[in-house]
Amino acid sequence: MEEAAALAIANGLKFLGAGLAMVGTLGAGLGIGILGSGAVQGIARNPDAAGAIQINMILAIAFAEAVAIYALVVAMLILFVG
Amino acid sequence: MTDAKPTRQKRRWGFYRWLIVLIIIGNVYAARAFAPIMPHVQVPAEPLAGPFTLPLIGELYLTNTLSSLLVADLILILMALSVRLATRKGELVLGGFAGAIEALVEGIYNLVESTAGKWTRQIFPWMATIVLLVLVVNWMELIPGVDSIGSFHEPHAGLPAYETQTLFSIGDFDVSTVTEEVEFEGGHDEGHADSGELHSDETHSDEVMAGEAHETEAEHSEGEHMEGSSLVGFTPWIRVTSTDLNFTVALALISVVVTQIIGLRALGPGYFSKFFAFRNFGRMWVSENLGPFDVMMPFLDIFVGLLEFIAEIAKIISFSFRLFGNIFAGSVLLFVIGSLVPVLVQSGFLLLEVMVGLIQALVFGMLTMVFMTMATQSHDDHDDHGEERAEAHA
Repeated sequence: MEEAAALAIANGLKFLGAGLAMVGTLGAGLGIGILGSGAVQGIARNPDAAGAIQINMILAIAFAEAVAIYALVVAMLILFVG
Repeated sequence: MTDAKPTRQKRRWGFYRWLIVLIIIGNVYAARAFAPIMPHVQVPAEPLAGPFTLPLIGELYLTNTLSSLLVADLILILMALSVRLATRKGELVLGGFAGAIEALVEGIYNLVESTAGKWTRQIFPWMATIVLLVLVVNWMELIPGVDSIGSFHEPHAGLPAYETQTLFSIGDFDVSTVTEEVEFEGGHDEGHADSGELHSDETHSDEVMAGEAHETEAEHSEGEHMEGSSLVGFTPWIRVTSTDLNFTVALALISVVVTQIIGLRALGPGYFSKFFAFRNFGRMWVSENLGPFDVMMPFLDIFVGLLEFIAEIAKIISFSFRLFGNIFAGSVLLFVIGSLVPVLVQSGFLLLEVMVGLIQALVFGMLTMVFMTMATQSHDDHDDHGEERAEAHA
């Protein structure tokens, strides 16, 4: 019984850890928000540059998003591996 | 919702909307008859056949992500052949599918040309290959049957096993559906006595635990069918290739290694001065009146060169995990939504996955292009290739 309880707690902590790992997405969300706001302001001031701005925005979003994806991979490794 | 805009005055009660209604009704019926279950989420790919022992390489498995990559290659070759056929007809303006491919390739080419300048001819093939391959691979996730059509086999301990129900058979070939997930631990199965006996075989006896079948989501909608069925494991034949780290790491390695080769071709051996920045360090010993900065900067340069090394390794990691993470998360999202709300809601997420697949393919290709372009541009201001860089910027 004792062992089962310990196992259940360990299992619960696993989920908790995965949830905590996803806190890392906070920064990526903020970053993408700032990027989007900047890009829209840029396009509003100079609509002709929309193409170049969009490309650079998507690139920068990919970099910001990578951090969130690392957090996601860590969470998934906690959940599904080992 | 899915109706096209009425182009004529009279609304035409077309064929497609009834087809869509029919599909929705069929969807509701199918979801009620065979409630979808959450599939087992597993990071490594499942082997379909093998191991084959090759000289020098060792054991090799034919995994379901590899078979999926072969299908993607086949699709790409067919695309290329169809464009070739269309161009052979001699029409100046390509229409239909070939026209769409032309527009796509032209878009990619213009993007590369606007960034890479005179290195377009070297960089474009890599960028276009990566974008097309990753796009096809990612969008295979949206095809029904990927991740859900496969073969049954003996259940392994530790992996989930499933109750099945035979739908119909073609000759000796039974087509079955999975009706319920049962945690299989290799031991006797008290809930389903007859099925437990079938599989309490010797192969798993070393891992026998106190076998208790936990029935997840005990919905006995198919209760009467369970007597005749036995527990089986399940391996999908095709699983999205991007959900295998082997594929993404291989692609990232190709991208980064080719970046070095292109940099070497553009700048000659001087390309490596980016990593081994000893020029100022050497100058420090011969120059005469040294200020404090003249002593500090060479060491900083060497440190920056070290950072460049780390940046190349970080590129591989971020390339591979970005693609893997996005598509794997997308697959899991589709599984979960599909098992929670099997009707209609998943369509919205499929649309989201269309966007994610496209953006990830573009991002992978575009980052490769940008890194390659950066490699062709000289790092040092005092370099002999300064004029070349100015040309590229012009």
